[in-house]
Amino acid sequence: MNNLPCLTALRRIVLPSVMLSCLSYQSVFAHHVLGRPAYSLNEDSNTPPSMAVETQIGDFFITYMVFPAFPKSAQPGRINLYIQGIDEGRYFNDKVTFLVIDDAFFSDRQEVIGTQDIDDGVYRQGFVFKEDGEYLIRAHFEDNEVPYDIDFPLQVGELSPVKPLVATVLVLLFTIVGSNLLMGKRAQLAKFRAHRKSET
Amino acid sequence: MTMLHAGLPTVWIVITVLTMAALLIGSLFSSTSTANRDSFSLAEAPLIGGIFRYLSSQTTILLCLKIVFVALFVLIIVSGLMGTPIAERNFSTVVTWNLWWTGIVISVLFMGNAWCAVCPWDTIANWLARRRLWTRNRFETRLNLRVPGMLRNLWPALVLLIVMAWLELGVGVTTSPYDTALLALMMVVFATATLVLFRDKAFCRYFCPVGRTIGVYSQVAPVALRPVDTDTCDNCETLDCYNGNEEIEPCPTKLVMGRLQENTYCIACGNCTRSCPSSNISWQLRSPSIEAIQDARPHFDEAAFILGLLAFTSFHGLTMLPGWMQLVSSLAREIGDSGQLLVTFTILLVCYLFSVYMVYSIFVLLFKMVAPRFGFSQIYSGFAFSALPLALAYHVAHNLNHLFKEAGNLKEVIANPMGTNAMPLSMAEKHQRTMDMMVSADLIPAIQVCLLVVGFWLSLQVIKYRGEKIFKASKSQQIPLVLFSVLISLFNLFLLSQPMTMRM
Repeated sequence: MNNLPCLTALRRIVLPSVMLSCLSYQSVFAHHVLGRPAYSLNEDSNTPPSMAVETQIGDFFITYMVFPAFPKSAQPGRINLYIQGIDEGRYFNDKVTFLVIDDAFFSDRQEVIGTQDIDDGVYRQGFVFKEDGEYLIRAHFEDNEVPYDIDFPLQVGELSPVKPLVATVLVLLFTIVGSNLLMGKRAQLAKFRAHRKSET
Repeated sequence: MTMLHAGLPTVWIVITVLTMAALLIGSLFSSTSTANRDSFSLAEAPLIGGIFRYLSSQTTILLCLKIVFVALFVLIIVSGLMGTPIAERNFSTVVTWNLWWTGIVISVLFMGNAWCAVCPWDTIANWLARRRLWTRNRFETRLNLRVPGMLRNLWPALVLLIVMAWLELGVGVTTSPYDTALLALMMVVFATATLVLFRDKAFCRYFCPVGRTIGVYSQVAPVALRPVDTDTCDNCETLDCYNGNEEIEPCPTKLVMGRLQENTYCIACGNCTRSCPSSNISWQLRSPSIEAIQDARPHFDEAAFILGLLAFTSFHGLTMLPGWMQLVSSLAREIGDSGQLLVTFTILLVCYLFSVYMVYSIFVLLFKMVAPRFGFSQIYSGFAFSALPLALAYHVAHNLNHLFKEAGNLKEVIANPMGTNAMPLSMAEKHQRTMDMMVSADLIPAIQVCLLVVGFWLSLQVIKYRGEKIFKASKSQQIPLVLFSVLISLFNLFLLSQPMTMRM
């Protein structure tokens, strides 16, 4: 989780263009767009605000909700997962295994957090994270011997405001100081050449 | 639940179609006339003339404006990085995407390319690289490399414009204050790095997708920086507008005002107005069609950029149709995409861009078949200006929805830019916002229809003038390009007639 600032900036903006299918960032969205984390707030029900993603994989339509919407470390939270067939609308009813994967660069940490049976059409999985960071929750299940892995991004705690600022300042300093040094050398070289020319 | 903005009412659609048909028939029977070359210097206007004269000669107000916009830009970055992640409650996303991104295109209609004069990306880059607030720095601190030849055109800006569209509509930067702030920081880094590395303002001239969009659109703006008296420029021997003087920097995009005929590369910095010893450069009111119809000289890269803008604007409208998600969903299923469906989105974006270029090419080929004297690229570049008013008209009409129907919470985010303790918009608030617009709900369709009609009329004028004067084509030979204009106008009308998904 303690990435270099430039790596964090790289991952936040540049990587999506390379890893198109990777869900590696968090955003809040008001209108319904498949596959993007979005707020789900319904003041007419007792359900608290959640972060929800709707997407599809193979023949299934997946709805994934995280309570609370912005989970923090050491705070209990819950995932609700709905797996429904696209064509016939039937609910998938076999077991689903939930894994948590550290989404930081150069990290291969992963851990199974539970295997759940369907309960009233929904798979529920509780969690408590010890530290803030960016994680992927992977829901794994098999249907007709075909394995399905569905990754969802989960931001625990707040994103660091300092890292991108530090990265920006460092890049700017490097560029400006570097060019000044090169210009200084260029000026010295020009002086030296002029001096030599005047001597000859 | 998704909130929708209502599309154009049927009566307005009928009025638009009938007006366009009348314009089309009128255009077939009217003779070709040159665009009106009369212009009026705003520096000589009663009441406001003094303001323009002062603005043209002094740097104080411009500097103050730059400082204000830099301060707002810093607030966007700070609130984006440290404020609430709820997009509709954060200053960063509301001001960037609902106000600036939509308003900047509308501003072209009134102020031409004036935004570039106060652009915070360039201002910060300039302050950092030149280490001067406004005066000329005689001690060169930049590397002054030449931009590689293959990049000295509008292709880099076009590619970056497509990347912006991808980030905006595909990745969803508009819905993340944090990512909005990161994008802002990256633009400053990019602007500064290019200013430090390359001579002049390579970022503004070749790379900036926003600046070049404004530059190209401002070809149909009613105001532009131009010489008051062309004879004075013809007799000028110092070319201070190009070279600068002791105090003022030279033109950062290497334009000679006496010969300037199109706005594409002007960034309205005002160096020419301040350095001209005869005070001969000023903002002028002019015919909005003069450049697109006859002055602008065709280049292939500029033509591709104009068509890219045409595709970019209607693609925005397309992605906000209620059926868009079904289309994405169906294609994703076919190709086995999952997750954020970015692969699917990218395929659709590329296909759409390609199809717009292809449709235009087909009409160009049809024109070539009936008027074979000219090469494909000549026709392609020459008539691309006809797409410019169509693109701008739809872009502004589409943005009016965002600006008037979604930027209603500006006061709220100014009062609480970080969105501290704010909750997401409830359904009641969303509903209230769509009902409580900044202007009358009846006025928006009227403006949208006027824009489409004027855009169509300008497009016809471009085809008629360029067809007859440059390509020596008769009216019947121009039919393929007139059909292109009709097709695009009807498609834009269709997009506006559909309900549009609310952004935030």
